[in-house]
Amino acid sequence: MAARRVKAMQGIAVLGTLAVLAGGVLAWFSQVTEDAVQHNRKAAEARVVRELAGADVEVAGVAGEDDVLFCKPGLVVLRGDGRGYGGAFRLAVAVRGDGAVAGVRVIEHRETPGFGDILNAGAAWLDSFRDGKVHAVTGATVTSTAVIATVERLTARGRQEVCLR
Amino acid sequence: MSVFAAAALRRNPVWAQLLGLCPLLAVSNTVANAAGLAVASAVVLTGSATVVALVRKLIPKDVRLPCFVLIIATFTTIVGLAMEAYAFALHQRIALFVQIIVTNCMILGQIERVASQERVGRTLLDALGTSAGFAAAILVLGATRELLAVGFPLAAMPAGAFLVAGMLLALVRVVEERAAKHRSGNPGSPR
Repeated sequence: MAARRVKAMQGIAVLGTLAVLAGGVLAWFSQVTEDAVQHNRKAAEARVVRELAGADVEVAGVAGEDDVLFCKPGLVVLRGDGRGYGGAFRLAVAVRGDGAVAGVRVIEHRETPGFGDILNAGAAWLDSFRDGKVHAVTGATVTSTAVIATVERLTARGRQEVCLR
Repeated sequence: MSVFAAAALRRNPVWAQLLGLCPLLAVSNTVANAAGLAVASAVVLTGSATVVALVRKLIPKDVRLPCFVLIIATFTTIVGLAMEAYAFALHQRIALFVQIIVTNCMILGQIERVASQERVGRTLLDALGTSAGFAAAILVLGATRELLAVGFPLAAMPAGAFLVAGMLLALVRVVEERAAKHRSGNPGSPR
């Protein structure tokens, strides 16, 4: 009985020590890479905005909220987050002066590869937003309905932007 | 046969043991993706096997599996972070499959069978051999699929992964059988 308890305590001690060490290593390494990761994410976002707006613009802003990235008379680009099947995704929507969607780009997502391919740049499904006739995609119902809802929310917000007029 | 060559060829994780097939099939659609996953897997495999070999005498038998998985997960997370920081484009394409390296049975098998029992030097050689074998397998599959996809788009799609991998596996078996027959002609040669 006592021997078993000692054995169990040994296991707990070893596993616990290992967990603390692993946590320390990861905390240190995520700090080392943080700047580069943030830089990459911003660059990816700026690239998307350039594609949508056709202008070299500085992208700054807070995460987690709908955000106007770029605005001029006739075109506004907004960024916003949604929740898909694999977790949060972030996309940008360009809205024209007449209220129509000029383009949709996904900045980052964690949808299952294969099913999430509809979100990649150049996919026909994202382009269908420009025609205003968007269908949910079989096999990716959660992903596509979540993206549609986010685009609708951002578009509605974009139409109200004063600088658009 | 040296430890390295045995691990890479005779016990090739993919063609001989059929391990690590999930990421292999998913990411082998292009050579670039395949190379990215091969490098990530090699770093995780070699790193975690070495650490396990170093601390193997401190780990009680009862908790060895959680300990191994914890070490593998740490290395996987480090590789994922490094990729996001220094190879962002690749990260965006194969991040999900880098994350599930944690559950790759090829790595856990390697650690359970070799790293938890052998000395560091031998473990390192064996892990490098296994990594090389996995890299060779995934690169051959990636190259074959990318080439075939020019004429047959199916080869780049998920179904094509199974078809091409199955054919390559059959090819390996045929070559092996031929070699075995050849060897049985001169007895005494080591397998």
